[in-house]
Amino acid sequence: MGLLKDVVKPILGGMTLTARRAANLGKNIVTIQYPDEMREQYQRSRWRHYLTRYDSGLERCIGCSLCAGACPARCIYVEAAENTDTERYSPGERYAVRYEINMIRCIFCGYCQDACPTGAIVLRKDFELANYKREQFIYTKEMLLEKYPGQNLEPYRSKVTGVEAPIYTG
Amino acid sequence: MAALESQEMVTITVNDVDLQVPKGELIVESVKRLGLEIPIFCYHPRMKPVGMCRMCLVEVGFKQQDGTVRKMPKPQAGCTLPADNNMVIYTDSEMVHRDRKGVLEFLLINHPLDCPICDRGGECPLQNNTLFYGPSTSRFTEVKRHALKAFPLSKYVTLDLERCIQCGRCVRFTEEISGDSQLAFRFRGASMQPSTFQMHEFESKFSGNVIEICPVGALTSSRYRFRARPWDLATRPAICTNCSNGCNIWFDYRAGKMVRINGRTNEAVNEEWTCDRGKFGHDWYNSERRLKQPMLRKGDKMVPVSWAEAYEAILQACPPSAGKMGGLVAGTVSNEGLYLFQKMLREVFGSNHVDYRWTRNRLSSSHPLSVGANPSNKLTPIAAYELFDSALIFATALADEQPMIYLRLRKGWSSKGTKVVVFADRPVEEKGFAALTVHYRPGSEDHVAEGLLKAGLAAGKVMVPGEVREKIEALSFDRIASFCDVTEGQFRQAVDLLSGTGVVVSSQSLLDLPEGVKTLEILADFSNGLGFDFNCYALGANDEGAARLGVLPDRLPNGRPLAEPGLDTAGILDAAARARISALWVVEGDPISRYHEKGDVVLALENVDFLIYQGTLANETANYASVILPMEAPAEQEGTYTNVEGRVQRMIQVVQEPGDAKQAWRIFGEILLRSGHSKPYFSASEVMEEIAQVVPSFGEVTYDRLEGEGLHLPLATSTDVLSEVN
Repeated sequence: MGLLKDVVKPILGGMTLTARRAANLGKNIVTIQYPDEMREQYQRSRWRHYLTRYDSGLERCIGCSLCAGACPARCIYVEAAENTDTERYSPGERYAVRYEINMIRCIFCGYCQDACPTGAIVLRKDFELANYKREQFIYTKEMLLEKYPGQNLEPYRSKVTGVEAPIYTG
Repeated sequence: MAALESQEMVTITVNDVDLQVPKGELIVESVKRLGLEIPIFCYHPRMKPVGMCRMCLVEVGFKQQDGTVRKMPKPQAGCTLPADNNMVIYTDSEMVHRDRKGVLEFLLINHPLDCPICDRGGECPLQNNTLFYGPSTSRFTEVKRHALKAFPLSKYVTLDLERCIQCGRCVRFTEEISGDSQLAFRFRGASMQPSTFQMHEFESKFSGNVIEICPVGALTSSRYRFRARPWDLATRPAICTNCSNGCNIWFDYRAGKMVRINGRTNEAVNEEWTCDRGKFGHDWYNSERRLKQPMLRKGDKMVPVSWAEAYEAILQACPPSAGKMGGLVAGTVSNEGLYLFQKMLREVFGSNHVDYRWTRNRLSSSHPLSVGANPSNKLTPIAAYELFDSALIFATALADEQPMIYLRLRKGWSSKGTKVVVFADRPVEEKGFAALTVHYRPGSEDHVAEGLLKAGLAAGKVMVPGEVREKIEALSFDRIASFCDVTEGQFRQAVDLLSGTGVVVSSQSLLDLPEGVKTLEILADFSNGLGFDFNCYALGANDEGAARLGVLPDRLPNGRPLAEPGLDTAGILDAAARARISALWVVEGDPISRYHEKGDVVLALENVDFLIYQGTLANETANYASVILPMEAPAEQEGTYTNVEGRVQRMIQVVQEPGDAKQAWRIFGEILLRSGHSKPYFSASEVMEEIAQVVPSFGEVTYDRLEGEGLHLPLATSTDVLSEVN
């Protein structure tokens, strides 16, 4: 039966920790002020998908649906169509006329990126994907596709480093 | 099997396992008995082997007297190697693996490897074989052969020459199976390419099959081009309802929409082939014109209503048991739907005015040649067409109307030498292999039949009753020729060719002719007199079922003739036009486009008080309707179909119906229930149970027995009919 051992000693121990932290105030801070500040992510972290373009401006995606086939969550829907000489979206015969990813289902495994024969679909580090409605999680081709080759679509990154993200070129 | 097989058995050794096989069986087939597989490209079990691709190389040796095996110095192509005694085969040796790798490396030299955009990618034998047997990397750094990409051979088939590995399957298909010989190889060596002669359009009734048998993506479907990849698709077995043959198909769909049709193997019906009408004729499933919601006419407008309101409106407008309702149905409705349709009309509306026949002439169901359930119309099974000595094709474009019978007949001709005599009023595909093709003047079928009978009598080959003989012998060949432009010599030649076991093929389209009934009767006399099987085949997917299920004004489902028959198609339309019946229930199809007298139909539709149109697609008839009931398409429902030979095959629900559409049998069942005439039917199989009890020839049918090849219904014998009369 130790009042000293069971009550006083833990209180003292706790207060000591507090005192130590108080002594170090302003040094070694581990928390950051998100969203004003952002942490640098790891090199190979995988978040939001993007559909990239060649330097010529043509889409890399050929609508082959291999990403959809590789996807373990079955969250990708691709519908292909044929390029014509007047309306050309990608090199070759085929392009994706619809490309949709259901971000609620996606588990960010990156298999789609692995499967892609042209390096069209890439997972970048834009992780702020919260939204209000379920429908808003269906990312359409317009949302996924770069507007121009090498477009910086990763707002967080420039906040962190001030430089644009390198473009994955397959 | 393409190879000649004899009954003599020989012993071969495959990978050190002794095996008894028929002498002469191809090694590529023999090894399948052990569950082994030899990779193939050019070999196809239903076509003659050619040994073009060299993929099936095996190591071969022979057992010597002393028990040792003496191997051949070089590997042999398993697809052209017939089995013989003491043969020793190795399919798994080091040498074979090396050779396969080499063959694949050669095949891939000029293959563009554009698998990601190729429609075949994912279900491609070249991909699969390369994965299992081929090299993992390419040593080829030179420039590949470049050739035509995406060249449209026809509306349906696209040719990509770069992908072609020159296996010749497509060329052989058009030569050996479909018989139109549309494709051929041009040029030699690396520039060899399959194409049509002088690059004209690939015109074939069976062109879709070359897409399926092409082992690479050289021949692809223009309709399916870039629409999906194989792994995007779900597939379920279905039955094609575009004609009466009831071919088995794989119904591929994506996101609930029909995408493509592939052949499904049923040795009794279509083997593995499809016709183009079946393969490319299902696009209407995705049509914008599909009916989705029951509609009721209120004033000038069609207003969407609930099913309950629609039923109320029908039962109010058409007082039960008044006999004032006529029913017209098309043969694309399932057995269950057809049965309940006639039951509903008879029990709820007290009317026998029900018919499924749209031809100009309709045989009364007591007529010995009416479709379904009678001994004079043999309904020779499709598979039996390989076996006849001779066949007479009379006034039917076989490749259009009975495509699978056409293919079987041609198979019989190529394997057994069936002598085919064709009488036609237009160019027909059968001409390619027929021993005799006679073109007569269109519309003179009855005279042609008379000429045939007369020539048969003159040759002493045909036996007919005395009065028929007198009537025919009174005619002269000159007079017959003046009607139909067929000479005595041609008739005699035709009769000479028809001997041995034989079959006469005609179809219900004959009844569309003004003299159709007479023609059929003479033709049947000729056929029976010769001792041939006479056939007058149905044309609609389920016409055969409709006839047996009693969707007729003069016969009940149990086969009992009605003392006071109702009105048939013409009678119903006439009565509607004269307002003798107050309501008309049209199920599926567009009478305006189907019936030969368009004016009669329009008059009937305009004058009938209450028109119920029940169907899958909006059409001209629907514009006249008081109530529109949306119905599920065949592959959206549970049900069974009876094909041309009386084979009942099951359809399972493949895709979801659009909107509120209901299955045909459910609509009729609900009307029966609402009017208190029947217990509720909860499933299609319950309806089939009732059919099996009521309809004699369906007695054996249960859903469990319809697995596999389906169930071939017996022909109703004459004793059935007699006992029903008593």
